[in-house]
Amino acid sequence: MPTPVPLVWVHGDYLDPRGPALAAHPESPAVFVFDDALLEFYKLTFKRLVFLYECLLEIPGVHIRKGEPVTELAAAVQEFGCSGIVTVASVAPQFGRQVVALKVQHRLIVEILPQPPLVTLDKGEDETLDLKRFSRYWGAIQRRAMDPRY
Amino acid sequence: MTTDLRTDFPTREALLAYLQETFPESAARDPHVSEIRGGRKAAEAQLDQIDPLNYGRTRNHLAGKVTRLSPWLRHGVLSLREVRLLVLTEGYSAEKLVNELAWRDYWQRVYVLIGEGIWQDREPYKTGVRAEEYAHDLPADLVGGTTGLVCMDSFVADLHETGWLHNHARMWLAAYVVHHRRVRWQAGAIWFLANLLDGDPASNNLSWQWVASTFSHKPYIFDRENLQRNTDGVYCERCPLARGGCPFDQSYEALEAKLFPTKTTRDYADEDGRGSYQKDTRRKGRY
Repeated sequence: MPTPVPLVWVHGDYLDPRGPALAAHPESPAVFVFDDALLEFYKLTFKRLVFLYECLLEIPGVHIRKGEPVTELAAAVQEFGCSGIVTVASVAPQFGRQVVALKVQHRLIVEILPQPPLVTLDKGEDETLDLKRFSRYWGAIQRRAMDPRY
Repeated sequence: MTTDLRTDFPTREALLAYLQETFPESAARDPHVSEIRGGRKAAEAQLDQIDPLNYGRTRNHLAGKVTRLSPWLRHGVLSLREVRLLVLTEGYSAEKLVNELAWRDYWQRVYVLIGEGIWQDREPYKTGVRAEEYAHDLPADLVGGTTGLVCMDSFVADLHETGWLHNHARMWLAAYVVHHRRVRWQAGAIWFLANLLDGDPASNNLSWQWVASTFSHKPYIFDRENLQRNTDGVYCERCPLARGGCPFDQSYEALEAKLFPTKTTRDYADEDGRGSYQKDTRRKGRY
């Protein structure tokens, strides 16, 4: 029996074919789910769908599905006999809710890899940045943002 | 077992025909397809075109050297980091461009903190107009591109047909919607999200709030001179209202008096507050 591999969950906030989850698990099946409820909420026009689909067509072997993402992902884990799910972080609130549902309702292991940061900050600095206005944020990161070592 | 959607298309036309069948509601809503292509190859081709040195000097102009990378950045086909490192390591003096990349990063960080709160006014309007006085829905002439204002109608057509607008056009259109037509920013925000290929709830909604003044210390407005200068007058020269009746052809003081008649100094006093409106002399950014 081969060792089970995680399912790579590809979502619309990270569609780089060389993204961290795809790069770390080239042997894994990858799945993207068009979220019917989200398409309806945002009344997404056709041109946006086409753009997304063209992005997906450049991700080798990705399985493209349509429906409710948590249900579809849990079913795909079963279908491919995967050990769990690995994906790339997203700041969207629905992403957080979906991760919780996969972990709690479906008892799946979900590994979330970070997106590459714009600028490498000190450990713990993300939590202490002043975000009241952009000018304060920019003041805090400006010097490092202009230095390719960060 | 769930069926996979198809991925084998000999031509773009075949892809479009399949997607029209698979997503009929979306195709019925607005059948336009953009010339901007999705995918990493198209993103890299666009990346080859960027001009960081001239970006800072010309970006406010509609024909300026803006990067047009936003659709791929929004969907993580390109990362902010790789674009930043590219412009830095190639020896460009590109602070303005890096600053614009930081705007997107900033909006994402605020999104982490407030989540669905991006749909609520972050602060009260500083326009003297009560929140409930703003209309709930977009007027039909605006969405139909029949306002008679050639600039605004052209921006609406571009939004619907291409899914992309220069950031300055977004700001002018948003200011027209919220301040001239007195429509709540949320109506404009969801309209943009439905249509913009780079539509991202955080960048989009918080930018609308910045224009509206619910996430800034004063409302953003513009005058005709500003629009004309940054478009080489291409809209004004075709506009029947150019010789009389243009709602933007006034001084900033007159515009403010017309748009915000009940505004008091109290509406805009905060830590950064100087003056009572954001004149279009500086810009909030995008990439």
